[in-house]
Amino acid sequence: MLTKVIAFIAVAITGSLLLYGVADFPSFGDPNSPANAGVEGGAPSISQYFITESYKDTKVPNLVTSVLADYRGYDTMFETVVVFAGGMAIFAILRVLRSKEEPPKPQSRAETFVHGDHNRIIVGTTCKLVIPVIQLFALYVIAHGHHSPGGGFQGGVLIGASFILLALAADLKTALSRLNEPNYIRLACIGILIYAGFGVLCQILGGNFLDYGVLQPVLFTDGPEMARSHSMLGVEIGVALTVSTIMFAIYANLASRGTLNEGL
Amino acid sequence: MIDQLPAIMVLAPMFGALMIGLFGQKDHRVCFPIVFTSLIISLGAAIGCANLVTKDGTIDYFMAGWEEPLGIGIQLRIDHLNALVIVLIGVATTLVSFFSIRRVGALDTEKTPHFYILYLLLCTGLYGITITADAFNLFVLVEITSLTSYGLIAMGSSRRGTHAAINYVLMGTIGASFYLLGVGYLYLKTGTLNMHDIQAILQANEEVRNSNAVIIAFLFILMGIWIKMAFFPLHGWLPNAYSYCPSSTACLLAPLMTKISVYVMIRVMISIFGLEWIFIHLGWSHLVVILAVIAIVAGSVLALAQREIKKMLCYLIVAEVGYMVGGAWLSDSNMWGLSGAMYHVLSDALMTLCLFFVAGIWSKCIDAKEIDDLEGVFKKMPITSACFILGALAMIGVPPTSGFFSKFYLIRGGIEGGHWEYVAALLFSSLVNAVLFFRIFEIAFFGKNPPEGHGHDEEHHDDHEDLHPVLEHEVSWRVTIPLIVTAVLIVLLGLFNGPVVEFIREAFPPTSEIVSARP
Repeated sequence: MLTKVIAFIAVAITGSLLLYGVADFPSFGDPNSPANAGVEGGAPSISQYFITESYKDTKVPNLVTSVLADYRGYDTMFETVVVFAGGMAIFAILRVLRSKEEPPKPQSRAETFVHGDHNRIIVGTTCKLVIPVIQLFALYVIAHGHHSPGGGFQGGVLIGASFILLALAADLKTALSRLNEPNYIRLACIGILIYAGFGVLCQILGGNFLDYGVLQPVLFTDGPEMARSHSMLGVEIGVALTVSTIMFAIYANLASRGTLNEGL
Repeated sequence: MIDQLPAIMVLAPMFGALMIGLFGQKDHRVCFPIVFTSLIISLGAAIGCANLVTKDGTIDYFMAGWEEPLGIGIQLRIDHLNALVIVLIGVATTLVSFFSIRRVGALDTEKTPHFYILYLLLCTGLYGITITADAFNLFVLVEITSLTSYGLIAMGSSRRGTHAAINYVLMGTIGASFYLLGVGYLYLKTGTLNMHDIQAILQANEEVRNSNAVIIAFLFILMGIWIKMAFFPLHGWLPNAYSYCPSSTACLLAPLMTKISVYVMIRVMISIFGLEWIFIHLGWSHLVVILAVIAIVAGSVLALAQREIKKMLCYLIVAEVGYMVGGAWLSDSNMWGLSGAMYHVLSDALMTLCLFFVAGIWSKCIDAKEIDDLEGVFKKMPITSACFILGALAMIGVPPTSGFFSKFYLIRGGIEGGHWEYVAALLFSSLVNAVLFFRIFEIAFFGKNPPEGHGHDEEHHDDHEDLHPVLEHEVSWRVTIPLIVTAVLIVLLGLFNGPVVEFIREAFPPTSEIVSARP
């Protein structure tokens, strides 16, 4: 009881402090707010810069993508690393390696689907129909991040979800036979390696880390702007690889309590 | 090549982690060479950067080359404040990696690659936090260090380690969210995330500077960092987390995590809000120094109550965090407190590293987890024990170890700032440390109840087998070498305290700008 009272007091103080600060905020959508128009004494407004210059710099119509993958690409790379580190941490904590019964032997998909009851047949057939569509849409989301909402994280989550759906509908072994453990860890590493590889390639060609403009001679593009645009697609693919595999890895470890034998 | 050093320093451990993920899963023997190579590359780059800072002053590195206008890209900055911190991170992580080859600590050996992946990502995070000049980038890297350290702590075999990790996850997440909320408020008022740009705006624009939102932003950022560094009332997660995790994890986290958080606090104070605004406009320094005094006293008293060696060291860390927070907020006009706090970041990291190395060796090799188990350990393990004595003397503050000089600067700051309660707390804590460590020395040298007549037997025994029995229990060179190097560094840092402090003090604004906050 006492702890609840103390917790309530702490939460109340925190909340009221936050609300007290809100009174000072610029009004919602105010074009003259500091975030939109900049403040005297500082550098010119970055929002204005992004709105007016980012298309000229990168030839990417979606501002969010250019900020995410180019201007602040260093942050995004580390966000991907956060996802990867999360997957590794879950592996480190949950994975049970001691019990060496038998390695999950790949079962044919037909076996798992046909042997089940009618429920299985309905679910299995639906998944057969849905999973390719999900994955195709995921690829569209990844590739279309330049023009519409989307990109590596969203597309990666979709691909990961398609594997999770397979694991839920059939069983974990079926999903793992498509993407087994050493491979998903490798693919996650390759994803970040693609991202960071673009950065290092820029360093080798004389720019700073992730300065995609200098990749122009390697990517055979018309100008540094298009090189930026293409490299962003490249790093988005890297992000998608890591996110999708780690999504599945986290599900597989959580659902089977770290044994990777039987899922939910 | 040279201008790429900051990026190489941060990225080398990350590439190492990826290489282990790709090639280390089948054959665990490739793990350590990869770890070592990448850490050495980072250490080399860190030393190179520090060298450049001594020669040319501040180094700026703009990620992806986005320089103008300030704030569209991400800026890294290495100056006099963090040049030594990155060298410290390099040295400590390399030494701990050496220590971890034998895996002194109960670890699932099947998970070696994953341990090293987390370890290297943690190093990337630490380097990144230290050199970034972007408030949001700092948050992202704090997330990396937190996630990896949760994993590393929970990897221990004991259930209590897992419990401690959950506790740490909750506290750490709250801390990180507070920091993020603070940065969000700051962004709403300034429209930028670049630390130096925020500072320019706060200095130029009185209306923004005095707004409540900025004050609350500062408060939340400060609370977030305090949770991360285990400042006294918020320290609850630390002792269990660091005492029930694998030894090599404890050796990495205990010296670096809290100290880097202290560095982040000082960085936020100097490079975002500015000392003048904090000390004169807000005038919280008295309050914070009193909190620090409570932290020092409480940490020391709690340490005195512990029977377990690692727990005791953990509470000493809590007390030491009090030293540094108090020192940073002393607001004396010559800023000896701030320089002392920054110097103590280095010196305390080395002392903690040394003591945790020894605690790890003891708990593994002679299964000594409690102070009473240490009976006669000096005879069995002379090298380890000698290093322990050195680390302990540094903790107490005996010259010429670095611990003495950091206390000297902190006390000088306390006297000049007129914070006598802080000076008294420091002296009290040194006294407690002396009592604590001499209690251990006594048990380790003479045993709890020195048996009479035992001495004769021992002498006889020694004559027979020369030096052999003395070094028999001593652990392998792979473990002792990092320990000895740490001990030597403690003494070296103490002997060269003058140049080091001079170097750090170049990072501070000219003293005339800061007037003492005393009324």
